[in-house]
Parts: sequence; structure tokens; C-alpha cells
Amino acid sequence: MSKIIGAVEIGTSKAKALIGEVAENGSLNVVGMASRPNEGMRKGEIVDFRKAAAAVHSALEDAEKMSGTTVDEVYLAQTGSHLKGHMLRGSASVASSDNRVDVADLQRAAEEAKRRKPDDGRTYVHHVRTPILLDGRIVQDPVGMFGSKVDLGYWSIDGDDQAIKQALHVISNYSLEVKDLILSSIASSTMMAGPDLRRAGTLVIDMGAGVTDFALYRQGFVACTGVIPVGGDHVTGDLSMGLRVLEPYAEKLKIEHGKAISDPMDEGEDVWIIGNKTIGDRSIPRKAITDVIHVRIAELFEILSKELEGLLDPDELKGGILLTGGASLLPGVEQIASKILGFTARRASFPTGIDSELAQPENATVLGLLHYGLEDHGLPGRKKEEVEAGFLGKFRKMVGLGAQS
Amino acid sequence: MTNKKNKNQDGLSGNWKKLAPKSSRKPASRAAFRKRLLGITKVFALIVVLCLVGIVVQFFQERSQPNSGPLDITGSGMPVSKLMFVSDGVLHKNWFQNWFGPLRNRTLMDLDIEKIQKELKKESQISFARVSRQFPSTLKIELKEKKPILRLCLRSKTKGEQTWLVSSDGSLYLGTCYSNASLVHLPFLNIEPSLLTPNPEGKGYAKLEGITAVAPLMELARREYPGFYQNWKIISYQRPHDSDPGAHIHIKSGKVRNLRFAPQGFAAQLRRLKYLLMESDFRRTPVIESIDLSHDRSVFAKLNPS
Repeated sequence: MSKIIGAVEIGTSKAKALIGEVAENGSLNVVGMASRPNEGMRKGEIVDFRKAAAAVHSALEDAEKMSGTTVDEVYLAQTGSHLKGHMLRGSASVASSDNRVDVADLQRAAEEAKRRKPDDGRTYVHHVRTPILLDGRIVQDPVGMFGSKVDLGYWSIDGDDQAIKQALHVISNYSLEVKDLILSSIASSTMMAGPDLRRAGTLVIDMGAGVTDFALYRQGFVACTGVIPVGGDHVTGDLSMGLRVLEPYAEKLKIEHGKAISDPMDEGEDVWIIGNKTIGDRSIPRKAITDVIHVRIAELFEILSKELEGLLDPDELKGGILLTGGASLLPGVEQIASKILGFTARRASFPTGIDSELAQPENATVLGLLHYGLEDHGLPGRKKEEVEAGFLGKFRKMVGLGAQS
Repeated sequence: MTNKKNKNQDGLSGNWKKLAPKSSRKPASRAAFRKRLLGITKVFALIVVLCLVGIVVQFFQERSQPNSGPLDITGSGMPVSKLMFVSDGVLHKNWFQNWFGPLRNRTLMDLDIEKIQKELKKESQISFARVSRQFPSTLKIELKEKKPILRLCLRSKTKGEQTWLVSSDGSLYLGTCYSNASLVHLPFLNIEPSLLTPNPEGKGYAKLEGITAVAPLMELARREYPGFYQNWKIISYQRPHDSDPGAHIHIKSGKVRNLRFAPQGFAAQLRRLKYLLMESDFRRTPVIESIDLSHDRSVFAKLNPS
């Protein structure tokens, strides 16, 4: 029996909803997707609840109509400059007399790691497990192996309570439950960087409209994540200010003529703001547009470089840098990233099998939400528990029957 | 889908689930409103469907069961072993047993006491009847009977001469269980045949309206002046409810052959009659032809029969 799952990304420029059907063999088919312009967000945070809710709800409704079904729970992407990541570490001695590692030992180490509480007014939204060390050696699954001490860590992201509440409220207002909060950068990384790339080490940069999320992978695990409050909208704003044009025209210029790095071919070439050469229309040098964009994009990568200072080790980043998100579509972005960060940067491509209409950089997060949600991120040796789908499952959940982990 | 408790979350650390609002009262968008409306409609439709299924199941269950008639929740009860009969008149237990029939082998619960009570009330001699069960095996009959104040002899071609009794409310009935001694002192009633009308409810005759005016005189005389009353033989009346001078009650008696009373003020009239008969002339006269007491304070008397 197939299962229906949903994912929602409340983006700064657009709210996106995705509905997927998981077949019995585990394959995921996207059966509904919709996006709506969102005017209720600034820099990844909700500033107008009603506008944000209207955009998300409309997207969800359209996606449900497209899929011909309804969802009860969704995975919700979480972003914004309020999110901060910390590495939490815990260890436990192997309890058994024969020094054979048990699931309970891992559990104790996990509890030890998660014992630290976030600051007042903040709440953990996501714990991402890092490699397990058995007597100092990295192991995939230590259960059943001999050893005396188990160490494990979590890259834990906490966020501001109010910002998280606002996002949760948007979903609950549509009579849905949030199944899990997933960091946007991790969701998009799951989609764009395959397991091989993650094992080789890669930095995934998701350049959104309001913010830029990044996730650094080492040896297949998350080493660092972050959010920089600079995105495509800042480029548009700069164009509007610098070229003295209205924002819609600045956005049009960015999309149609924007480049992040100057091209000698553009020297002396002008572009028209409106394009029909009527009253009010005027020409602007193409180089001026490129210069404005270049400054902002370069600034973005410089901030990123400072954030990741000391973490960008060539031996640990053999996979290079992957760029995704709507703003990564600007020509020349990858060259600037490569130059400033010192590693080869390229635009990320979607895995094969995804419809070309869906396989757009701006959809990386929402698609990644579903994939990340379906994967098992629990401790080794712990069985992934399933709940019954359908009416019986809903009824059991309603009356509180069934196993709870 | 994974379990509700997420693998990435742990109760030892801060958990965002505690921030999730329990409910959101007001939908923030039209889409949310439509979603809620759809949800409510689905729940309502489910309830309606369940109700319909329930009704259909009950309907078929009822149809599949044989109709066993009304349920007997009382049980068979015990046979009637005692009859308690209470009456303020002349009717007695034997009369009831003859009237009803044998009670043997009939249980209290077999008897339809409402029907018995109704049939008893139809009897012309009975003014009130109450039938009740006294468990475990006693049937109780309580009656109130009409009291006769006059007799009326009627002769018919088929039934010959019959003596009917007249009660104080004007009812006519053929008395049962009365002894001759109890009836022999009752005066006879003499009325115009036109005043007798058949009973619209069935057998017998309708009530005589004038009797209610005559009854107080009869009752007063019987109680206060038994010497007069025992000589009264035949009573008749003319428009006793009217107040005109012609309305009167006429009594034929032994010493005073014709007594005439006005239909009201009986006590004063009887007092005047008493004083009148105490006069020496009246005392000495063995038979008085007539005394008319119906003219207010004037009394007209005729001593000698002419």
C-alpha cells in the first residue's frame, strides 16, 4: 500500500508545497507540486503571518488538487538567520562484560550528547548525527563490535522560539501537522549531493531569494551548516538602488541580463529597462548591471569564506563546491565562488530520473525534504518504526493505540 | 512513514514539538477555511453514513425476528382467591358474581379491571365504581349506588306492569336486590306520560328533570317530618323549576288528600303545615280535603270533602 507524504518550504520569494507517493518498493513519485509568491517573508523569516499563510495554504491546496489526495503531515523546511549550529558530543563506556557494543551503549552516548540545553528562548530544531567513534576509530555501525568506549556527536541546530512557532502556526492553521523540521541546507544537500560526493567532502551552497544556506559535508556527515542573510533579493535591491529603477524592473534586468562576472563582450552594450522604448524606458550599460551584481555576490562568498574559516581543508573537500538555489542561476556565480573560496565550484545537477520541470535549482530544498524524510537517520541497530497508514492508522493514532518509541 | 516521535529528536534536549500550537481557531486564509470546511463535511458525512448503516442493520434485524406480539412483563399471577366487595347500597357480593360470572381459575392479571369498571358504571343503579387488584390474589370492588326516593309504575303491552325507582337526580332504574320493606314506604310518582323520554344512550328512560326540584322536599320531610312523610302516597309536579305562580308540587296523602307546595322554601312550608295541623279544627277533622301552601305566607285549606 502506497503512502502519501508532503513537504513545505516557506521561502522568501515563493512558498512551495510538494506531495509525494511512496510506493511499496520505496520509490518516490511526486504527484503534486505548487508554488505561490510569498510576500510575508523577509530574509527567511515571517514578517506578515497572514500573507505568508495565504501563500503556503494556496500552494498546499493546489498541490492537493493536482495530486487528487490530501496530506495529514508535512516535512517543513527551516531556514533563517536565527538558526545556529553547534557540535554536541557524547560518549559511553561499553557496558557488556565481553566488551561487545550494544544499541543501549549508543543510546547512552546519544543521550549524553543531547544533554546540553539551548539558551533561553531557543529550541533545537534538528540534530544531525556525525560519525561514531569506537575507541577513537571511525566506524559505520559499531553494534556487535568489540571495544570499550563509544563516542558520537550531533551537529545540532537551534533556533529562536518565536520564529519556529510562526512557521509551525502557518502549517497548523491549514489543519496539518508538521512531521519533522528539516534544515533547508541539509534538505537541498540531500537532493543535490549524492552519498559519494558527501563521503568525498563537499560544500553545498543554496542561494535563495532571502538567505543563502550552506552545509559542509566531511566523510559523509554534516560538519557545519549555516545561514547567511544575503540572497537574490539583495541583488535585486542593489540593482534597484544602483541603477535607480523600480524593483520589478530590477528583477527583470537581473533575470534577463544579469551576470555575476563581467564579460569583455558586454563592453559598450546597453540594455533597455522596459524593453519597448516608450516614455520612461531608458537604456543601461550591461556592464553596470554586472558590476552591481558582482559586488553583492562577491560579498556573499566572502562572508561565507569567513564563516567557514579553518574548515575548508582540501583533503576533506574533494567533492568541491555545489551551488544550487534560484540565485545560483546567475551566470558567473560559480567562477566567483571558486575564486573566493579557493575550491572548484559548479552548479549542482539533479540526479537522473527527476522530471525536467521539477529539476530546477529553486526546487532543490522542497524535493530534498521528501528524500531526507524518507531516509533513516537513527542510530545503528535501531529499527525504523513504521506507523500504519490509511484509516486504521489514523484511528489508532487518534485513540492513542500502537507502539511509541 | 516513520513513527510520530522523530528519530532526529530526543526528549533530553529542547524539542520543537512543544512549540507546535495545539489548535488554530481562526483560519488565516481562504484555503485554510475551505480545508476545515471539507474536514467538517467529511466527519459529518461519516456520521450520517454510520447512522444510515445502523438504521439499515436495525431494520433488517427487526424484519428477521418473528413477531411475538406484546411482551408479557407481568407474569401470569395467581388465581383470584378472594373477592372484596364494598357498596354503600343494597348490592352484594353474590350479585357481582352473578353479574360477572365465575372467577374460578382466573388470575388477577387475566382480568381486565378497566373493562369491568366501565361495565359496572353502565349499570343504572350504580353511580360510581372502582375495581382494583390487591396482590397476590384479591379482587376489590368498590361501588356507590343511587338512592331511590320515589317509585314509578309503568305499564307496557309487552312487559306488563313494572315498578321503576326514581333517584334524587331523576334517574329511573329497575332496582335490584331491594327488599320490599325498603321500598314500600316510598311514595309513587305520577307524571304526564309526555315527560318520559327514552334514554338516548340505550335502554330505559332519560332522567326526569323535575325530580331535582322535588327531591329536597322529600328528603326534608323524611328526615324532619316523618309523620307527614309516611302518609304521602302520590307525588306529582308542574314545572317545578319555574318561578311562576302555577309551578307547584302536588302530594296525595292519607289525612290531607291534596297537599300543594311551592317548588322552593320547603322548610317554611312544612313548618306552616305542622302548625296548621296542630290547630284544634284540623286535629279533630279526620280527613282534610286540601291544603295549599304554595302562596307565600297565605295557606288555603279545605277541611271537609265536598
